[in-house]
Amino acid sequence: MQNETILGTRKAQKPGLKKNMKDHLVAYSFIAPNFIGFALFTLVPMIFAFVLAFVKWDGANPMDFVGLRNFSRLWGDATFHKALWNTIVYTVGVVPLTMVCALGLAILLNQKIFGRNAMRTVFFFPYVASLVAVAAVWNFIFSPTMGPVNQILHTVTGLPLEELPRWAADKDWAMFTVVLFTVWKNMGYYMVIYLAGLQGVNPELYEAAELDGAGAWKRFRNVTIPQLAPTSFFVLMILIINSFKVYDIFINLFAGADNQLNDSTRVLVYQIYNTAFRSLDYGYASAMAIVLFLLVLGVTIVQFRGEKKYGQ
Amino acid sequence: MRLKRFLGITLAAILAIGLLAGCSGTKGNGADTGTQKPDNSAAATSDTGGNGSDGNDPVTLKWALWDWEATAYYQPLIDAYKTAHPNVTIEYVDLGSTDYMTMLSTQLSGGADLDILTIKDIPGYANLVKQNHLEPLKGYIGEQGIDTAKYGGTVEQIQVGDEVYALPFRSDFWVIYYNKDLFDKAGVPYPTNDMTLEQYDELARKMTSGSGAEKVYGAHYHTWRSAVQLFGILDGQHTILDGEYDFLKPTYERILKEQEDGIVMDYATLKTSSTHYSGVFYNNSVAMMNMGSWFIATQIEKVKSGESQSKNWGIVKYPHPDGVEPGTTLGTITSLAVNQKSENKEAALDFMKFVTGEEGAAVIAATGTIPAITTDEVVNSISSIEGFPADENSKAALSTAKTYLEMPMHEKSADIEVILNEVHDSIMTENTSIDKGLEDMKTRVQQVLNN
Repeated sequence: MQNETILGTRKAQKPGLKKNMKDHLVAYSFIAPNFIGFALFTLVPMIFAFVLAFVKWDGANPMDFVGLRNFSRLWGDATFHKALWNTIVYTVGVVPLTMVCALGLAILLNQKIFGRNAMRTVFFFPYVASLVAVAAVWNFIFSPTMGPVNQILHTVTGLPLEELPRWAADKDWAMFTVVLFTVWKNMGYYMVIYLAGLQGVNPELYEAAELDGAGAWKRFRNVTIPQLAPTSFFVLMILIINSFKVYDIFINLFAGADNQLNDSTRVLVYQIYNTAFRSLDYGYASAMAIVLFLLVLGVTIVQFRGEKKYGQ
Repeated sequence: MRLKRFLGITLAAILAIGLLAGCSGTKGNGADTGTQKPDNSAAATSDTGGNGSDGNDPVTLKWALWDWEATAYYQPLIDAYKTAHPNVTIEYVDLGSTDYMTMLSTQLSGGADLDILTIKDIPGYANLVKQNHLEPLKGYIGEQGIDTAKYGGTVEQIQVGDEVYALPFRSDFWVIYYNKDLFDKAGVPYPTNDMTLEQYDELARKMTSGSGAEKVYGAHYHTWRSAVQLFGILDGQHTILDGEYDFLKPTYERILKEQEDGIVMDYATLKTSSTHYSGVFYNNSVAMMNMGSWFIATQIEKVKSGESQSKNWGIVKYPHPDGVEPGTTLGTITSLAVNQKSENKEAALDFMKFVTGEEGAAVIAATGTIPAITTDEVVNSISSIEGFPADENSKAALSTAKTYLEMPMHEKSADIEVILNEVHDSIMTENTSIDKGLEDMKTRVQQVLNN
């Protein structure tokens, strides 16, 4: 009897296993199109880029293996250091400011105020607007001599135009201008993410806090902030990664007709582009790309760790 | 467990795909290197064998170029060629003028099926030669009996070793454009065909007036490095390729001073606002402007269409350093090359021969553009175009004494150009001092030269 049942279960298990396998195959076949695309267009180039970092290659002639020389060159390359530094400064400027603005907007637009949806659209609009177009408008508005911003500053402060900041055209103000631009352009998107987070906060928590005599600030400090921690964490990571990868904004704001950035605006991705496609030094450019990759990877690892901590 | 299996399968898939990609990659390369030689010999044999016999099969050629809309001679060239060769269709691929040579190199590396390639500048040309994208032409030039002496030395200037990979069809040089109305209004005599750099500076200062929207700038330097830096090489004693740049100091000092004094528009502002040099000349806000001869055709056209309000204009020879012959100027050549992997190489070579030859030169000159083959006839035909300034000085300005290429041919000219452009930008935006900038140029270029 017992033997029979054992045999019976064994018999029943075998087709079960097969079915399991079949399920897997079905599942894999569903993700296959996406995965093949990913492998072909993302994974293979990525692996290729790693290989490239150890060779000297101009894109057409045979590659020369150079070991770690591309990386050792990075140590002494002042242009690369400047690009890295600018990227870090930009990130440090953009990330906190965007978070504060996005959260502030989200809280304001989460209230039942008049024209709430219209306002949400207004703040979201820069994010969907074409970068090329808004960068051109921005450069016009901030034009040192003819732009309305400096005209207004001129009237208000009485300072001559020559003494006012020249914004994007000014080496000392360029970074400030681009940070301002990025925050304005992207805060709408993060506002929407924060809005979703705010909708998920249990209203009973606010009621309980209110009953305990917590004021608006205390409710914000002790209910909203902790409840939004997972959202904030997500926003923080995406912002940092996007800031490291920045290229298009700088090109559109500063590069002019010949696509050229200078010491005060050169960023990492531009430097990679310049090295690879203008100087045809694919190997060295890949080494730079790997530095960028490691930076982003570092952030991502922190994110995985942090998600376990703050994610729940 | 499941994750493990998934990882296993993923890795297997990656490896498989990687292998496949690797295989196909080497296969492609092998095929390329394999076909290159037979291809050449095939072209050579059919050239000698039956050039005339297969002249009637329909052929479609793809021509890589920039600014189709804004360039007057592309369509006339194609039309002229088509009347003699009705079986040939020429399609153009406009890669845009920004970073054109980078685009072209990327396209060719990706195996784009372009046949005829317009070569915009020397650094980009040097890169394409290094990458083996261009068909060597020495043999073809010999077979066809093309006389390179007619090109005024430009063919020799783009020679790489013993080989040449392109033929020039345009040969531009820099002149000074000026707005006669503004000079009349200010009561200042027009610029002449014999100005030293100091006299040019003086004149620019004299011509600067007004403020705000009414401001007239005495001169205008476009945001290209060549528009400023290359005044320094006109003395004929220096080159920008040897890694020594101290000689550029007086040039930068003079121009930055002009910028500081508001004689010329601010470089950084021009750049961030992407201001095109033509716009400021059209709307009467600059009295003089140094620019290449390619602007003649555009200016004539825009005066006709009413877009250029600077209707009363003229040109004079480039200002020169003290003790140098007037008419010494900068030059740039535009050439045509043939893609080494073109499937219609023979037809492409024939089109190139037409455009760069005398027939092509006549078509180009008729649009007010200076072709690479310049004869007195060509100069006359340009200065007799309706809309070309009528004064004698403008006509005389079309002949040059000595032309220095904006960027001479050098194996590493692309790398050097990137560095020079970067540092130039930093100096002009005052991100760095002149001394520090020139020092930076020196160390970085020497690093490239010794690498």
